[in-house]
Amino acid sequence: MKAAAEADRAGFDLASISERIESEVQRAIARSIKGVEYFSTSGPSLGSTPKDILSVRGTMNLYHYRPIADEIYRVPILIVMATTNRGYILDMVPGQSFIEFLLKRGYDVYMLDWTAPKPEEKNLRMEDYVLDFIPDCVRRVQADSGENDVTVIGYCFGGVLSLLYGSISAGGPMKNLICFTTPVDFREMKLFQNFADRRYFDVDHLVDSIGNIPPEMILSSFEMLRPASRAASQVQLWENIWNDEFVKSYRMFDRWATDTLPLAGEYFRTITKDLMWDNKLYNDAMSVGGRKADISSIKVPFLHAVAEHDHIVPYGAARPLIEKIGSADKEEVILKGGHVSLVAGANAVRRLWPKLDSWLCERST
Amino acid sequence: MADKSNDPVALWQKMIGEMEKGFNAFAARAMESPQFSQALNQVGGATAAGQKQLGELMEKYLLTMNMPSRAQMIGMAERLQAIEGQLNEIKAILHQMQGNAAGSGGVYAPAPRPPRTKRPPPPAGGEQKSGGEQK
Repeated sequence: MKAAAEADRAGFDLASISERIESEVQRAIARSIKGVEYFSTSGPSLGSTPKDILSVRGTMNLYHYRPIADEIYRVPILIVMATTNRGYILDMVPGQSFIEFLLKRGYDVYMLDWTAPKPEEKNLRMEDYVLDFIPDCVRRVQADSGENDVTVIGYCFGGVLSLLYGSISAGGPMKNLICFTTPVDFREMKLFQNFADRRYFDVDHLVDSIGNIPPEMILSSFEMLRPASRAASQVQLWENIWNDEFVKSYRMFDRWATDTLPLAGEYFRTITKDLMWDNKLYNDAMSVGGRKADISSIKVPFLHAVAEHDHIVPYGAARPLIEKIGSADKEEVILKGGHVSLVAGANAVRRLWPKLDSWLCERST
Repeated sequence: MADKSNDPVALWQKMIGEMEKGFNAFAARAMESPQFSQALNQVGGATAAGQKQLGELMEKYLLTMNMPSRAQMIGMAERLQAIEGQLNEIKAILHQMQGNAAGSGGVYAPAPRPPRTKRPPPPAGGEQKSGGEQK
């Protein structure tokens, strides 16, 4: 009694402590069982929303997702994925798929996704992406949908490519432009800047000697931004391995995050020199294939969604975009979350997706 | 329920979280130095070149041993994926043909697309409000 009273005074509740111990013991047992399951089973099937392949050309893949609404908006959407990552981040599993969300809301959705460039594609240049792949996909979307207007959505570096395309093809078929976490001021990506410091980083030597930039190198540079996070997430996984929903979510995101793509060597050289070193996009000095790419020439309705806690594209790097863009109808929305949780997972389901729908539906007729 | 501040599990989780933040912040400061960049690029450059040479050497070795290299295995996996994709397309077409045959005397036609007539829903009581701060 005396001990209980003392424990109570100290803020402990003996009954709840024993309940807690019991629950922890049960979880420890569940962890052992689920831990075995974890290593003996594969993760959930990702990117399974039904789609048709419209075109495959080297690293470029164009998909059309089969509409599921009885009636769809007039203007189709073309999503341009980042060249470092796979598009299934936007199509995880039913209920957590951005694509499925758009289809249910009545949009006609196409995706420009990338596969690993082959060694013989090491000479792909920025021009190939901006002046060939994207316009080719836009034309195919126009032909397939029968509509002249297309809404373009670019995620991360897919946003940069969309901006370059939009600025060079101003007055073209792009009706709306939406960017997710898209950097324009590369000075503000401070750690990447330091990794690529021109005094020590010999990009010419690297590209000339290895060709395409291997995915391990790209993944390491992402992980180095938060070096403790991988270990901490594994501790978290072990703590929560009894929780099927947590494990499912962990596996989805972990698989995607480690499924990094190599980058074509020449393309990487341009990114490093023009964007990381000379910050040409921000300085209005960017050109692609001899054609000036000035963001202020983009006049179509524009939405930029950025994440409050984005460690890959810090807000400082994305912030100037809204000022630089030439559109009269433009909006920036800052949402809670990080670089990935902005677009996928429970956070995105609550925040970004409804916001995007409310913005886009009025501009899709 | 015990107070969170006395819950050893919550304390452990908080400690892990704080350690992660602290280490990340410390590492970020260290990685901002030019010395780090110099060291990283010296090591990285050498490693990349070494890995490429090793890869080429392994490729030759596997060729001599009459075994497939990693690149060939990846190529095979991609071919398999492409074949699977084509099979799915064939399945989808067969499905459509079956449906159309049942409905319109056996003539193949692509599945009809929904009409592009959808209009945005009328604004109703802030239903479509943003979840985030707007600027």
